[in-house]
Amino acid sequence: MVLLKHFAPTEAFGTVYLLGVLLVGMGWGFELAAVTAMVSALAYDYFRSRPEGIGLSQPQDWVVIGVFFIVAVLSNSLAALARAEAIEADRRRHEAGLAARQQTALRRVATLVARSVPPSEVFSAVVAGLANCLDVHDAALLRYEPDGTALLLAAADEPGLERMPVGERFWLEGESVAAMVQRHGRAARMDSHDYPAESTAARIRALGLSSAVGAPIMSGTRVWGAAVVGSSRPDAFPPDAEQRVRDFADLITIAIANAEAHAELSASRARIVTAADDTRRRIERDLHDGAQQRLVSLGLKLRLAEESVPPEQTVLREQISDVVTGLAGVSDELREISRGIHPAILAKGGLGPALKTLARRSAVPVELDVALPRHMPDYVEVAGYYVAAEALTNVAKHARASEVHLAAKAESNYLCLSIRDNGVGGADIGKGSGLIGLVDRVEAVGGQIALTSLVCDGTSLDVKIPLRHDGPTGAQSSELLPHQT
Amino acid sequence: MSEVKPIRVVIVDDNPEFRDSARRLLEHQGVRVVGLVSTSADAVRHVQELRPDVTLVDIELGAESGFDVAEALHDIDGEAPARVILISTHAEADLADMIEASPALGFLAKSALSASVISAAIGHDGESRSE
Repeated sequence: MVLLKHFAPTEAFGTVYLLGVLLVGMGWGFELAAVTAMVSALAYDYFRSRPEGIGLSQPQDWVVIGVFFIVAVLSNSLAALARAEAIEADRRRHEAGLAARQQTALRRVATLVARSVPPSEVFSAVVAGLANCLDVHDAALLRYEPDGTALLLAAADEPGLERMPVGERFWLEGESVAAMVQRHGRAARMDSHDYPAESTAARIRALGLSSAVGAPIMSGTRVWGAAVVGSSRPDAFPPDAEQRVRDFADLITIAIANAEAHAELSASRARIVTAADDTRRRIERDLHDGAQQRLVSLGLKLRLAEESVPPEQTVLREQISDVVTGLAGVSDELREISRGIHPAILAKGGLGPALKTLARRSAVPVELDVALPRHMPDYVEVAGYYVAAEALTNVAKHARASEVHLAAKAESNYLCLSIRDNGVGGADIGKGSGLIGLVDRVEAVGGQIALTSLVCDGTSLDVKIPLRHDGPTGAQSSELLPHQT
Repeated sequence: MSEVKPIRVVIVDDNPEFRDSARRLLEHQGVRVVGLVSTSADAVRHVQELRPDVTLVDIELGAESGFDVAEALHDIDGEAPARVILISTHAEADLADMIEASPALGFLAKSALSASVISAAIGHDGESRSE
């Protein structure tokens, strides 16, 4: 210290130089700072020793240079440490930011999944979240098709790069992340696509992608598809990128499981309704072709017998006549039962005439407005018929209405049925009105049903049934279920 | 009465038991059942050849529809369109719109079949309608 005091720069310049060296050290790293320290020590010595010029002959010059150098090196080391700390803190803050972003994006996707929104919405949220959380521009969702291709379901793309259109299929051959994920059923990465010319690799290179990470989307034990992120930079992805992509892929796996469960439920509901309808149709047919025909034939034979009895045998004639009348009664009863099981008019004439017949039989006068094609799918006609029949029955039973308006039309691939009355209103689907059965029936064929029934304001029932449904095995989320349709 | 020509009828129905019972009852009542067929094609051929006064057509003809048969018979070339009465075990009210829309003269419940209702339906006054 004494030495330092003795040789300490009395001029302010010395302090300024030290400060400069310190700044250089903080800004540009140790090597440059050491050189700067050396040069500045020499320069300091030069200015201090003017006008004699730089002279290293004096021992105090050496001491000054030495002290300066040591101070500069020490301060530089401290600066380097501080700089490293700052970088580390910055990295941690960045990571925390990414983690928070990932949590937010995952939560958003999970909410969408839980709300059972259309799959396309989930897909878009996933690719946006993936790209954002991994700090890259390119993210994609693929579905593996039975023909060995992959279908692009959703994509986020780097601005300026060639885009692969959503809906495009490409072959899965050679080494690509998508192919590796499918082959091994687990996450995969490629830090560059510089391998021999294969069409997939070429395609990926053409898209300007250098590195990629992908994770599988599962459906049960099957690899359904993949979530992939890509970047135009090689080695763009941190070591934990696989895990991050997997987090998103897992959410889609859940979404698919949900959709499959929903589709299976819809399909089984549709199968049950269709099976019940088929059974009713068959019972009606059997009754008509069997028992009903036999009864009528027996009736004709009895009438022949009656007419063959000599006129004087009045008692016998009367007895036979009684039986003929009785048989006719049985036949009528059977016909009523048959009609309840499955109306003949529906099978013979279709929904239009069947609705007219319903209207004619209704206890409350019906104003009809029907414009329907002659042929619609069976399940549509049956569902439409039961909706109208049940609605008219309800009006007669509960509505105390003086008139009903029944409209039926087919437009933009839907059968639209609307039944409005001017009665007391207050109907409720949940109140055991038979309406709940209609809800099941309509939803089973992919339709929608809406009831509006304010007290004292009449009731209206609106039903929309798609004319092109996939039928009893129809899955509504076909977007998610390529292999079942 | 002896000079009155009996009504000539063809029955189109796919149920043999009914065809047989109907024929026996109608013949007993003085109707001549000149043809018993069960398909649309046979019905057209018989009606073309036999020119009956009226054809009874079952609405439920298995896979075929009696309404279509009625149309086919109506379209046969001739002096006058062939006369058709639709028959069924269904109630007339259940199929009223379709019956009305068809070229048939009318509808007769199978259980109510008799010579008198048929002749009333075709306006047969007991006189022969030709020659």
